[in-house]
Amino acid sequence: MPYTALKKFTVLDLSNRLAGSFCAKTLGLYGCEVIKIEPPSGDLTRKWSDSPNSCEPGDSPLFHHLNAGKKSVTLNIDSPEGRDILGILIQKSGVLIETFQPGRMESLGFSYKSISDTNPGLIMTSVTPYGQTGPHSEFDYTELTVFAMSGAMHREGLPNRYPIRYGAEVAQYYSGNLAAAATVSALLKFLRKGKGDWLDISIQECMAGHPHQIGRRAPFIYSGELDPREQPRISASGTREPYAVGTFRCKDGFMSFLPLGARMWPNIARMIDREDLISNPLFEDSDKRTANRIELESIFQGWLNERTRQEIFEAIQEAGIPGSPILRSDEVMKNEQFLNREYFTLVDHPQQGQIKLTGDPFRLSAVDKMPLRPAPLLGEHTEQVLTETIGIDTNHFMSLRERGIV
Amino acid sequence: MNFNSTDELPLSGIRALELSEIWAGPYCGCLLSDMGAEVIKIESIQRIARGPINPSPDGMYPEQDPGNHPWNRQANFNSTNRNKKGLTLDLKTRLGVEAFSNLVKVSDIVFCNYARTVMEGFGLGYEQVKSIKPDIIYLLMPGYGNTGPYKNYRSMGMAIDAITGHSYLRGYPDMDHTSNSLVHHPDAAAAVNATLALSTALVHRELTGEGQFIDMSQAESFMTHMGEMFIEYQMSGIPRNRRGNRHPGYAPQGAYKCEGEDNWIAISITNAEQWNLFCEIISLDLDKDPRFSTVEGRIKNHDDLDAVITTWTSVRERYDVMNALQAKGIPSGVVLNCGPDTYADPHLNEREFFQIVEHPEAGIFPMSGPVLRFNSSYGSVTHNPSPTLGQHNNYILEDILGYSKSKIELMEHMEIIGTVPLPGADLGGSRRAAKEQARQKNTTLNNAENE
Repeated sequence: MPYTALKKFTVLDLSNRLAGSFCAKTLGLYGCEVIKIEPPSGDLTRKWSDSPNSCEPGDSPLFHHLNAGKKSVTLNIDSPEGRDILGILIQKSGVLIETFQPGRMESLGFSYKSISDTNPGLIMTSVTPYGQTGPHSEFDYTELTVFAMSGAMHREGLPNRYPIRYGAEVAQYYSGNLAAAATVSALLKFLRKGKGDWLDISIQECMAGHPHQIGRRAPFIYSGELDPREQPRISASGTREPYAVGTFRCKDGFMSFLPLGARMWPNIARMIDREDLISNPLFEDSDKRTANRIELESIFQGWLNERTRQEIFEAIQEAGIPGSPILRSDEVMKNEQFLNREYFTLVDHPQQGQIKLTGDPFRLSAVDKMPLRPAPLLGEHTEQVLTETIGIDTNHFMSLRERGIV
Repeated sequence: MNFNSTDELPLSGIRALELSEIWAGPYCGCLLSDMGAEVIKIESIQRIARGPINPSPDGMYPEQDPGNHPWNRQANFNSTNRNKKGLTLDLKTRLGVEAFSNLVKVSDIVFCNYARTVMEGFGLGYEQVKSIKPDIIYLLMPGYGNTGPYKNYRSMGMAIDAITGHSYLRGYPDMDHTSNSLVHHPDAAAAVNATLALSTALVHRELTGEGQFIDMSQAESFMTHMGEMFIEYQMSGIPRNRRGNRHPGYAPQGAYKCEGEDNWIAISITNAEQWNLFCEIISLDLDKDPRFSTVEGRIKNHDDLDAVITTWTSVRERYDVMNALQAKGIPSGVVLNCGPDTYADPHLNEREFFQIVEHPEAGIFPMSGPVLRFNSSYGSVTHNPSPTLGQHNNYILEDILGYSKSKIELMEHMEIIGTVPLPGADLGGSRRAAKEQARQKNTTLNNAENE
């Protein structure tokens, strides 16, 4: 359920793809009133066929996720009247989120400079694949291509196969989330100094500056060490217990473990009922266990084969070993921890019926909550926003509608 | 446009106390300090948490040399703690807790990514800290949150990746999950959500005067990055499966081999217009092949299509391929590696993503820059080196807290503060490195003696 912390602020969401839209959605979860501007034909992601078999008729799961809590206003911004209305909405907003190709806002008549001349407190957050400047700034992208350009993909996968991306659209989500954090920080400055700002968020840079990427780039620049794709057990053989690091098959699925360091060894040996191995000279220190990892791994695997994910999950808590079962999406929704914390949030969508959506990314103890609205129908709030917020009278509104401007 | 002053940064004037290690907490501190906050990283000389997570012992120090203070030369630490100030405190002592409490009085934020009960153990849980400073903003981010049956479960990024459903989607669709990579994104998701949480609480405090406790579950924050798959399951009754590099709605999409060793190009053809342009560019009569004439056909015959595309890409230079495709508006990108490729990327360089940083013990290197760019602070110096152990003890105790020199000396004498780990200290990941260093020194000595 959303919190009301940012209810003072109105966000105009002009984004047309994932990262900007997620940024706006997240601001809405913490109280901003988010007005999504859509072309009269609807946002692209309403029909994105990301999920076969699941979304006919009606909007895509992605649209439901990215737009819960927002209001939808349709507006043809290619028409002069549409642009005038957009200009008024921008004047009345605290935050503007846009994801156009660099230069497009200016060509519409809304460069940051011209906007800030009349609304100096506005935070304009631009989220683009490669940022506002530089030779690649006009490149088109998908999750895969921008992820490739970040440095994150080359080392994902096995050495004799092609590089592979992560499992979800993380580059875009992560960048949208960073944009939200930067936008709220800019709002703090606005409250303190009355000044707005323009944020230039590049998805490539967000992922290239990701802690795991900079943590891997430093060894190269420090000492020339490359970080190629490797078999996971081999890449784990640094400071850890490689025979028990990574993902393993068990009786009813897969488990991932990350025992950090040599002090985990006696716990692992006791957990698998092989206390005798602790005093075995073949395994007496980390180097020996690494050298004899195949043998240890097969003993460990034998123990796993007999047990379910739940049994192993409980055993590793007892032994103090970080790890978790690999869950499918349906299993995640039934997991006892997320149920206990009432994480998933039920909304009632007029066409789709009841849907459970992902909940709050963090919980604020001192802020009131408000109900979460489902993603809006196309243009659901056009009349309300235009008449109430802008003060357009009913006749004018009907005329705009007849001419396809809204 | 160039104010060249950190005063313009949005969090200037905010002071945050960081108690954290590895990735999620430190990177949150990184983001806060990139945005102008004064982030004081509190460590101790009793337990050093500057260990490497992945690089081999050879790779984690400048010129492969651990030097006399390996903890100050760690690649991981030095890349994820930029712009912070370093203080050591033994929080198991009265004077250590007293110094922390005095700092709380002049700070805005306390955040911690240790296990949920560590701060309570020091007598510095939220209630205690709040009694020192009522409007403090205090965040704990255990893997599964601060309540519920898993609240005390140990977790790392890998565990969060698994339990949220992300690991299930990773890896090659024709292999099982045991080949999954050991790089885990949830740490970064937790870092950015913690940063957003703290900024949001700062806005709330600005408006109301209230501080608060923030309960963040790393798992819950990460699941917002894949929320559509849970909705998809509810609508279709089918849990999402692994897709590798492909997309269920368009084709072709993948990473294709280029000229040279381990060189690849990522290509996505998302609509018919792009497909027609693509066929023109690679001109292998692809458009005449009935198997590929519709998107359904391209998805069905994806393997065959990939083979044809590879015959074209594999004899071409990867940047040439990208530039040729992008010139026609076709999404494509070189699969850059994290080392030489990103450093050579013309675009990142033109945007000055890498900044030359002079670290007092690690030397001068181009480090990856801050990612949050604010027009108002464009051009300001925003990447200062990570602190050496206890580097700012004097500044913090004397200039911020007004401690006398004699009190600071007493604290040094009592080993509450310091700049080198105590003999017998838990060196964490530095332990192996120190061992390796000792081994190398012995070898050098032996060689010298033999000569």
